[in-house]
Amino acid sequence: MKQIITYKILLIVLIIISTWSCERDDICSDATPTTPHLIIRFYDVTAPEEFKQVRQLTVRGFDENGNELLDIITRTNTDSIVLPLRFEGENISTLSRFILEKDSDFTEDDDDTTESNIDIINVNYVPEFQYVSRACGYKSIFNDLSVTVEPDTGNWILSSQIINTTVDNETSAQVILRH
Amino acid sequence: MKQVHRSYYVISLLIWLLAPMTSFSQDENNTEQDTIIYKQKYGLRLGVDISKPVRSFLEEDFTGLEISGDYRLTKRIYLAGELGTEERTTTTDYLDVTAKGSYFKAGFDYNFYRNWLDMENMIYGGFRVGVSSFSQTLNSYTIYNTDQYYEDPFTITEPQEFNGLSAIWAELIIGMKAEVINNFYIGINAQLKGRITEDQPENFGNLYIPGFNKVFDSGRFGIGFGYNISYLIPIYKKDKKVAVDKVQE
Repeated sequence: MKQIITYKILLIVLIIISTWSCERDDICSDATPTTPHLIIRFYDVTAPEEFKQVRQLTVRGFDENGNELLDIITRTNTDSIVLPLRFEGENISTLSRFILEKDSDFTEDDDDTTESNIDIINVNYVPEFQYVSRACGYKSIFNDLSVTVEPDTGNWILSSQIINTTVDNETSAQVILRH
Repeated sequence: MKQVHRSYYVISLLIWLLAPMTSFSQDENNTEQDTIIYKQKYGLRLGVDISKPVRSFLEEDFTGLEISGDYRLTKRIYLAGELGTEERTTTTDYLDVTAKGSYFKAGFDYNFYRNWLDMENMIYGGFRVGVSSFSQTLNSYTIYNTDQYYEDPFTITEPQEFNGLSAIWAELIIGMKAEVINNFYIGINAQLKGRITEDQPENFGNLYIPGFNKVFDSGRFGIGFGYNISYLIPIYKKDKKVAVDKVQE
């Protein structure tokens, strides 16, 4: 009898040890919505219901000191862009600036008569931190969204429109830019 | 997937614990039978979970204590309960949270084991209802952001406390207790828990509930293990009649 009990205790210990190792994998699934990006779509200014591709678009952001960062996209023909938003704290009105350079291939070709067109957009918003889950922790969503285009001598972005003032998902665009 | 694996363990553990019942069922035969009477002790058994002080000593992020008690009602049924207090810090890549509180569990144990002679060991299954009262302190958290375009991830280190939380759960327990010296028992058990209600802190979740243990994202189930030493205070004795085969003359 004593021997049987000893075996059983040993077995229980084995079972418990093998179960323990399964508890470590708390991984945030890709399918869980976390901190969203800002989605911008480009529309045709002459036909307001139609998407219009931007030719050879390059997009760059700025860090907190106003220095240019790496390209988010480089020389791509596209009618939509997805931008990361910077945040410094909850409920603090924050500004992210982006360079949107159209026809960016023209800066590198030999033809002096063509050049790229750089527009800068200012995106303003207020971050709010929301709890997601044990594995993912918190995400930030962005409220009170507004977008302005910095005026220069030849803006290629002619108008902007906010569709949704809250950035809390990545399923639809929040901002429309017309050109 | 891991939930499925765990349920395999629990089921196999159950089968394996119940198996001795069949092996002890005797064949029906016509031999004459006699009875021997053993005195069995009834009383209050008090114990502590030794894993908790050991973990308190070994693990930096855990302190806890649990006392347990059971009272024998009939040959097989025991009134049982546990009382405990725990403080546990859960640290993930994105959260650092300390849960602190106490809990109480009450229910019954049923001894499946048919003891030989005058032995009083237990292989038991039981049921508990548990209540926990606790607080959670969010020590720090990092915003989950798949896009690392802007340098470092953003971390908030200002602690936030969520007080007055409570949870209620039901629990199935399987385990064994063996008398190693007179009135002195060692035991081991596994618990499968299912949350019934809990207070959700505002804009936060319960990562660890004292008594319930780890809260999984995937559902309301939890697990726990106990390693007990306990002492039986005998109050009265009762006869146990055992049928034995008469030796053929």
